[in-house]
Amino acid sequence: MPDTLQNPNPQNNISAYYQTRAAHHAVVTSDWLAQAQAAVAREPDGAPDTSVPPVAGKPFSVIDEFNSWRKQPDLAEAVAAIRALAAVIRNCQATTMMELEIELKKASDSLKLWDATSISLTAGCDLFMRYVTRTSALEYEDFNSAKSRLIERAEKFGEISCKARRIIAMLSQDFIFDGCTIMVHGFSRVVLEVLKTAAQSKKLFRVFCTEGRPDRTGLRLSNELAKLDVPVKLLIDSAVAYTMDDVDMVFVGADGVVESGGIINMMGTYQMALVAHSMNKPVYVAAESYKFARLYPLDQKDMAPALRPIDFGVPIPSKVEVETSARDYTPPQYLTLLFTDLGVLTPSVVSDELIQLYL
Amino acid sequence: MWWRSPSFILDKQQSDTVPHQRNPRDTLPLPSPPPFSMADTLQNPNPENNISAYYQTRAAHHAVVTGDWLAQAQAAIGRDPDDSTDTTVATVAGKPFSVIDEFNSWRKQPELAEAVAAIRALAAVIRNCQATTMMELEIELKKSSDSLKSGDTTSISLTAGCDLFMRYVTRTSALEYEDFDSAKSRLIERAEKFGEISCKARRIIAMLSQDFIFDGCTILVHGFSRVVFEVLKTAAQSKKLFRVFCTEGRPDRSGLRLSNELAKLDVPVKLLIDSAVAYTMDEVDMVFVGADGVVESGGIINMMGTFQIALVAHSMNKPVYVAAESYKFARLYPLDQKDMVPALCPIDFGVPIPSKVEVETSARDYTPPQYLTLLFTDLGVLTPSVVSDELIQLYL
Repeated sequence: MPDTLQNPNPQNNISAYYQTRAAHHAVVTSDWLAQAQAAVAREPDGAPDTSVPPVAGKPFSVIDEFNSWRKQPDLAEAVAAIRALAAVIRNCQATTMMELEIELKKASDSLKLWDATSISLTAGCDLFMRYVTRTSALEYEDFNSAKSRLIERAEKFGEISCKARRIIAMLSQDFIFDGCTIMVHGFSRVVLEVLKTAAQSKKLFRVFCTEGRPDRTGLRLSNELAKLDVPVKLLIDSAVAYTMDDVDMVFVGADGVVESGGIINMMGTYQMALVAHSMNKPVYVAAESYKFARLYPLDQKDMAPALRPIDFGVPIPSKVEVETSARDYTPPQYLTLLFTDLGVLTPSVVSDELIQLYL
Repeated sequence: MWWRSPSFILDKQQSDTVPHQRNPRDTLPLPSPPPFSMADTLQNPNPENNISAYYQTRAAHHAVVTGDWLAQAQAAIGRDPDDSTDTTVATVAGKPFSVIDEFNSWRKQPELAEAVAAIRALAAVIRNCQATTMMELEIELKKSSDSLKSGDTTSISLTAGCDLFMRYVTRTSALEYEDFDSAKSRLIERAEKFGEISCKARRIIAMLSQDFIFDGCTILVHGFSRVVFEVLKTAAQSKKLFRVFCTEGRPDRSGLRLSNELAKLDVPVKLLIDSAVAYTMDEVDMVFVGADGVVESGGIINMMGTFQIALVAHSMNKPVYVAAESYKFARLYPLDQKDMVPALCPIDFGVPIPSKVEVETSARDYTPPQYLTLLFTDLGVLTPSVVSDELIQLYL
């Protein structure tokens, strides 16, 4: 009964998360983004209403809801899931609290199944469940008022998650000073928001962008930054240590923040953090709070594998293996600060925050 | 305003003086000598935009060479070692001996290092020289050496090779002899000997490094170094069991070529993107790199990315081994990454880049000696601190 989203590559363990990110990134320009955002801002409730079909008989589908929210490329996947789950509560046909919770859990599981490798999706769903159900309102006799209270909390959580990037951008402005050089890796929408805010406050800084093999995400970021008139320099991934002397700070996003205070991010982040640490450059991580996950990797291989095919441009002999993992784990000792919507945290504080979030 | 390292001043000066070095004025008194002067200079195909011819030709060589071609070429050379030199010594009356032609003919063998080709060419200069006094011979040798060096100012091994040849050949008491002809033959003898040593350098290095490769080890290599390939080939042929992690070697994909060659030798190879080095460094037992040049501090100058790999390996306590022939020892002492003659290599990203975006196009970086463990050279297995002693012995 709970329809599962068809993972386009169920057999060969390709990570749908990274594939769709690449698909999103391939077609989006910032004009398109601006139009899409304007469209969304005009009708904040229009999108979910169209997917709730007035046609009699068609059941409400959390996956359809999720997909409609995900069409906005600026929206993080986890936020789309949170919005979809909020819509589940709104459209739910249950008459008791237990039934509602079961339906919510089913919807959450089907969303998580869509991509088992996406940490922020799993973490976002889990946190939503806890946030929404952790309320004394559930003790009320009246089911309808309890349900409306749940809806209220769900909307609030959705709002917080949406605004998370703005909060992070504002918190990080103090750390970007005039004349500084920032190194970024790949394409993180949070980091782009941070840099955009700094550029719009007329700060003078320059950015070193790594190329971000194999999906060339760094080139996209350099495009976006060039439009903001920020001086950008592109490097190949090998040139990070070569240029680290000129760099004042490293800014990365995160796919997930783990219990140790470390982060899981695109392949190459660990290397950059290691080089920066050996040269005493601070490494700042910009991560929303719904990315905090109950994971504790002990080494690089201790995560669910997320593979991504690499195109080398020339045919590779069949005997040659290729390391196709799309992400690595950066231990907390190489990170300086994490900018989250809960505030500016040191890696050691992350586990305390996780306890507060999850309990 | 943006550059914090002081060496940007040096960069600015270099970029001002490099165009002057490209067209060396030799001993002709004319202020603007005609294009085809006595010591013809190697035409650098990209004199204007500062592209390093060294790396361009390396890429060109790598693009067309396969293992079969190599084997054929080597067989051809092995059959007639003196024929190629004789054909360039023009029997046609009137055509002067040209060191550049000699150099080019030697360089056609892709297996031969550029510096070795230069050494052979200089040896041929002595052989074909028309001088009658020792001073004249030395002047002619110096002119040829300068013209070879000016062909590509960014190639460290070429400059170092020429300098070492000059010193090795002229540092002999034979020059005190009264008889010019016997002195000349002595010089020729020493020149041939130096050429032989340089040619065999790779075999010696391969043999010295066999003790360090043990069964079941994992070796990380970066880019395509012919010396390192020789080392791995020798190990594979002695039936050692090991596997190799190859980085991709952006931007010229040299790592892919190396993985091809290793796959032919039935060595298990794994290709990584450059970002995945730290990710896989846990499983690696040692790092093996080549060198474009070995500097006085004991550090090396090599393809971009070597410094990063050495840094990561050092932080995880993995040994970094360098395989470098002795003619690559140069009288240089870079103080930071930018303190070298810039060698630029255009990068193809596959998509158009907006014009406002700069690109870091340097083709090489400097690895300080504290990140290196051992250097395998034909002089023996050295620690980085011993390099300066060896340099003193070579150059004095």
